[in-house]
This record gives sequence, structure tokens and C-alpha cells, in this order.
Amino acid sequence: MKFDIKKLDTYAENTWCPGCGNFGILTAAKQAIAELVEEGYPLNKFTLVSGIGCHAKIYDYLNINGFYSIHGRVLPTAIGIKLSNPELIVLGFGGDGDTYAEGTAHFIHAARYNADITMVVHNNQVFALTTGQATPTSEKGYKGKSTPEGKWDEPMNPVLLALTAGATFVARGYAYDVKYLTWLIKEGVKHKGFAFIDVIQPCVTFHNIAPYVRERMYKLEEADHDPTNYEEALKRAMEWNYNLDPDAKIPIGIFYRVEKETMEEGFGRKIPYYKVERKVKWEDVIAEKKIV
Amino acid sequence: MRRSILIGGQAGQGVAKAAEVLGKILVRLGYFVFNYRDYPSLIRGGHNFNVITFSDKRLFSHDERNYEIIVALDQRTVETHKKEESENTYYIAPNGVKIPRGENIDVSSALKEGVPPIATNVILLGALAKFLGIPKRVGKEVVATEMKGTFNEKAFEYGYEKGEKNGRIGKIPRKGVYFLTGNEAIGLGAIASGIDMYIAYPMTPATPVLHFLAARKDKYNFTVLQMENEIAVINAALGASYAGAMTMVGTSGGGFALMAEAMSLQGMSEVPLVVYLAQRTAPSTGVPTYTAQGDLLFAVHVGHGEFPRVVVAPGDPAEAFNRTIEAFYLAYRYRVLSIILGDKHLGESHYSMLENEFNPRVEPDRFLIFPKGDFKSYEITEDGVSPRSVPGAIEAPVRATSYEHDEYGITTEEPEKIVAMMEKRLRKAETIRKVVMELEPLSIYGDPEADRVIVSWGSTKGAILDAMKHLDGWKFVKINYIEPFPSSRFLHEVEDAKRVVIVENSSTGQIGRIIAENTGFITEDKILRYDARPFTPEFILRRLKK
Repeated sequence: MKFDIKKLDTYAENTWCPGCGNFGILTAAKQAIAELVEEGYPLNKFTLVSGIGCHAKIYDYLNINGFYSIHGRVLPTAIGIKLSNPELIVLGFGGDGDTYAEGTAHFIHAARYNADITMVVHNNQVFALTTGQATPTSEKGYKGKSTPEGKWDEPMNPVLLALTAGATFVARGYAYDVKYLTWLIKEGVKHKGFAFIDVIQPCVTFHNIAPYVRERMYKLEEADHDPTNYEEALKRAMEWNYNLDPDAKIPIGIFYRVEKETMEEGFGRKIPYYKVERKVKWEDVIAEKKIV
Repeated sequence: MRRSILIGGQAGQGVAKAAEVLGKILVRLGYFVFNYRDYPSLIRGGHNFNVITFSDKRLFSHDERNYEIIVALDQRTVETHKKEESENTYYIAPNGVKIPRGENIDVSSALKEGVPPIATNVILLGALAKFLGIPKRVGKEVVATEMKGTFNEKAFEYGYEKGEKNGRIGKIPRKGVYFLTGNEAIGLGAIASGIDMYIAYPMTPATPVLHFLAARKDKYNFTVLQMENEIAVINAALGASYAGAMTMVGTSGGGFALMAEAMSLQGMSEVPLVVYLAQRTAPSTGVPTYTAQGDLLFAVHVGHGEFPRVVVAPGDPAEAFNRTIEAFYLAYRYRVLSIILGDKHLGESHYSMLENEFNPRVEPDRFLIFPKGDFKSYEITEDGVSPRSVPGAIEAPVRATSYEHDEYGITTEEPEKIVAMMEKRLRKAETIRKVVMELEPLSIYGDPEADRVIVSWGSTKGAILDAMKHLDGWKFVKINYIEPFPSSRFLHEVEDAKRVVIVENSSTGQIGRIIAENTGFITEDKILRYDARPFTPEFILRRLKK
């Protein structure tokens, strides 16, 4: 049955900059949800979690269940939701500052825990909402207000980090290739386990690397890449280190996909807790400490 | 009759277990017992000890000198506690440990009778039982149910045979006596409240709750989850609660500090949450396995911005059980942050409690609604409480947010909407205040007409109640709810008093500032203890007479 995608709109005023890569991610997310609903996924089970930053405004623009959490804490919040109610389809949206700076520990552990959630990182390689400071994924030499001489440290490679941390689905998308990103988000949702999608999201105001990316980008699906091969995935992940080297190649698509037991399976979670009726009497509970 | 026995030895020698078993034996025989546990932060070696104080009358505290008996598993116990002995203190120790008086038990030959050296604690427990005149059968029965390995029964019997008989402890007929720690009571209170998820990162002295609940999660069908740090813990807890689970987290001061940001998120998102803060000696790492009440102001003021919260401070395990149930009720009924403020002394000491002291006043529930059609996650209501639903249970979206928002939970920066939502939360605070005032926010002990008043809160209750047995013309005003504070009732209790003394396990007497902040009443008369040790009745009486 055709789903009216307009149902996903809200009355909130969109305040992203004109041309912002976030529009591409929002459109892809809506399209993915619409197509998944048409395939039978119940709309009211979709639950998003956002962090803080430009990306997080997506909470206001998507008419689904949502938790607008705090900076860096998307993943623990999402994991708590999933364990509480495994029927929910949990979509995390984070920024690169959010996920790779403030929330790095959560990112590494979420990859290990393998809860069945999908994490989309709006990676514009800059703190945009706070007006242009370097993040861990900014290229070496990035000049922002806090690094006027240029950022001196090497960028973090989140795709490589996710692979080594044990993520079971690792992908990279491009915010301006909406159709491909839609497909990636759908594959992420369908993946049983922790699905991580790093989305290159050029920031039109502070970090517009669209021309650089467009010239070097290629799709893994068109390059005979085997996403079940972990060593191949590592090699592909190392083709771009998030610096702006002229010789780099930038693969997008699914680097790696493997099925493992999920966190909620490991914890034996099936029934949403809100449906569990507890009829335990307090007198019976305290009785275990009765001596005479 | 108030009798105290110290059992000491190295960590790993089973001092705490022997003390707990002795406590249970004495409660079985109809005595009231308090079991204080003292241990440094290490795994093997060092010096641990317990003090078991018991009587045929109610008691809630231990002694810190003039022990009737010292059971010394090692020489260090004898040396460390020499300064606390009386001239009659009787020592029981294995052969090889030099003692000023008392008896040495030939532990080395126990091996021949199939008792391994690891059971030295139980051998000495047997000898102690003999000395006290505890019936062998009762002792053996409790050892058999409490300790794994049949060699323990043999060890008890061996010690009992070798030991010298002195007194006689007869059985006092009694019914309805419980023996438990504050941490166990909080765990059981959470289960009785219908907990779905307990999430924590290990931190003394809250860790026993994590272990206690993990051992019971299958029986009662709930989840116990340890995560990578306290920040993950509290944010996962808020996620879990938003999605419908009855959720609690537990930690001590350092972990509580890491959680502070998300407590403010609780205030804005109004996602229900129960937090157990087990205080220990601070600042910073402080004295990690010892007690203090120095986090009071921190707990009451935690989180940036203005938002309502509940801080409840139980004074013994029965209260801990009842108040944990109240904490859940208030959190879920009113979408508020409930903080249970305990400490190491309450958490890790065993108390004997009476059946009628377990009496929860409220029944926790998820308090959910499932409307068809439209749903406002932050509906503006007269009492400030927005009815709660959960995602996936209804067709409409259910929202939670850290950002200021309108009734649907959509972000707003409009001044009128900000004021409307802020005032909704203020009305909620007033609603909660009215409810808490019906939950015995303050208790009076002693002579209600007295004009000399002790004011305190939390785990000092036991030592104060036992000290009051030696005081005439005093009453004890115990504050149970620190927030919201029972201001008018408190003022009523102290306004005509000649003397108002604050008793607190801290160096500044923080409850004095809370009282002043809420009522304008100021007292500089304070009995404070900040050597990381809990109060004893004798300490309070000594300071009161100064």
C-alpha cells in the first residue's frame, strides 16, 4: 500500500542553512521510513534518538516517536530504548562532534554490544552550530576559529574504528546522493544488529567539501567489493583517512556486514516491559529476609 | 543488656560472613542485632572487622570500644584494637596469635578432621558460640543454610568442641524479626515496586545493590545491565524509562557527579527516573569504603537549571524498603527525578527490623495512558503533571526532549511557550510537595514535648535512637524528605526549643543550610563526625555533654 510521505512532516520551521547536507539526510530518512512502512514495518514503532547540534533538529522535522537527548549520548539512550521495548525500530542520528568527540566511548561499546539499532552520523567534519570549530574528523590543517593556524592533529577514521570495535554493519553514505542513502538506511534497519552509517555531509557554511568528495567518490557495490570479507573491508576503509589528500579515493556503500547475536537476544528480551504486568506482593518480596 | 563482639582478620578470611552468620544465629534466638562492617579498599590482606552488637531489647547501632569479646583471626586484629579493649575483654584466636587473655583454638590440627584452613573463621565462630552459650544445634543449622561446603558445619562443630563454655544464651520467643542491610532493603524495595531495569556501573558502596539484584533478576523477570560508564548508565536508563520500563540506577558520589548532566535532562524531558546515591567519604576518591553524609547539598541541588526533584533519606532498612517504593511511585506518577539518599553505613550494616515496620504507603505503577488519536507528550494541565504514554503503544508519536518544547514536544524558543512550560513544571513541583507532605516527611522520636531537640537525617538514626535511651527531656526530629522540605512542620517542632543540635556525618552540618534555606531557622549547635566512621551512641552522648 502506498504510504503518504507527507505524514512524516511536522509543523516545525526548518532552520538549517539553505543547501545544507542535512536536507539530503532528512529526505533519505523519510523515504526509507516510507518504503519500510510500505513493506509492512509499523509506522508507530519507528523511534528516533538525536544528540545535540545541527543534525539533532531532525527530531523536530520527523513526525515519529523521538527522544531529543543530549550531546554525545544518542547511543546509550537508543540502547536503553531497545532493551526496554525490543519491538521498537530505533534510529539514532548523531553528529560527528556528538558521536566521535563527546560520545566516543559509547560509540566503541555500542559496536561491541550489537543492539539492533541503526546509527546515522551526520559527519560534516565540523562543529557547525557552534560556528565552525574542528571536530575529531576534521582534516589536519583545518582552519576554524579555535584553530586559526590549522588543526594540528590527524583525523579519526570512524569507519575503521567501527570495524575494529566489532560493528556488524558498517557503511558510508553521501548526503547529496539521497537515493543511495535511502537504500543504505533501509539496509541498516533491516540488518539485525548494530548498523552504523557514516554520512559525509558537506556543511555549506563551514566545511563545504562537496566538490572534493564528488570527484573521488565511488560505490562499493560497483567495485566488486565483498562485504562479508573483513580484511577487504579494512582495506577499503583505509582508502580515505578523512584528510583532503588529492590522491584519495572515497568509497561509499556497505563495507562490512555480518550477523551476530544481538544485545537484546543476549539479555533474553522479547516482550516490551510496558506490557509486563507485575503482580508481586511486597510482603512476599521482603519475606526472604525474615529470620523468625 | 547491650553486648558487643568484634571479629577481625585479613580481607579474604571470611570476617564479614562469620559476623553475618553470628547475627542470624542471634536473631534466630530472639535477640536484636546490629552488625557494623569496616573494611579498607583492598581484596586480600589488610585488616577487616565487624562489630556485632546485640541485646534482648531493640537496638540500631554498634559500639567502638569496650568490646566484651574480640575474635582475632590474626595478630593485627589484636594490635589494632588493643586501644579499644576493656580490662575484661576476652579474646578468641587461633593458636599462634598472641592474646592478652582468653583462649587460643588449635586450628592447625583441624585439618586432620577434614576441616580446611580456609574455614578458620567458622572454627572461631564455633568457639565463640560455645563461649556465649549458644545452643550448638541452632548454630550448626544457620551455618548449614548460610555457608556452602559441608566442611563449614564440621568446622563449626570442631570450634564448638575445642572452645570453652562461659555464659548461656537462651531462646527468647519472638516472631516477625527480619535481618538485612540497607542495600538489600533498597534492592527488595525496587523489586516490590516492579522494577524492570536496574542499570549501574560498579562503585562502592552502591555495588551490593547491583549484585543483589543480578542474583534475583531471573526470579522476578527484570534486567540488570552494567554499562561502560555512569554517563551511559543514566542515559540508557532514561531511554529505557521513556520506552516504558520501570528503571533505577545506583551509584556513589563520583558516579553521581558524572550523571549530573542527565539529571537535568530528566528535569526537562520529565522521563521518570529513580536514582540511588550511596554516599561515601569524599571529596574525590576520598576514603572509598567508609561512610559520610557529605553529598547532601550536592544531591539536593544536582543538575543545571531549575526543575523539581525528590530527595528521600531512609534511616534504616525498613525505611529504605518503604521509601524506595515511594521513590518509584513519585517518579512514575509525577514524571520526576527521585533520589534515594543513603550511605555506606546504612547500605552495608545489618539491622534487625520488625514485621510491622515494613509498611509501604503507596503502590507504584507505570501510570500510562493509551489514547486513540491525538497525544500531547507535554500536555499543560492544572496540576502540572502531563499524562504519560510510551512509544509504540499508541498510534501518535510519543516524544521526550532535552530542549524547551511545546505540548507536543516540538522545540520552541518562543517566550510565551517557554513560560507556559516552565510554569507547568513549577505547578508539578507544588503537586509533588502536597503529596510528599502526606508521606511522613518528618518523624519525631523521644519526648514530643521536650524543648531540647536533635535534628538529623539518614543513617545517623540508629546511633541517635540508642543514645536517646540515656537522655531525658530530648526529642529527635528526623527529616525523611529533604526535598521537598517539610518547612512548616519543622518550624513547629523547633520554634520553642531551648537547644537545637544538628547531628551529621560531615564536617559542616549541611542539613543546617538546607533548613536555613527552607525555613530561615539557623542553629550553630552541631555534633559532627568526619573521620569516615559512623556515629555510635557513646560518641553522641560524649559530645552532647561537652
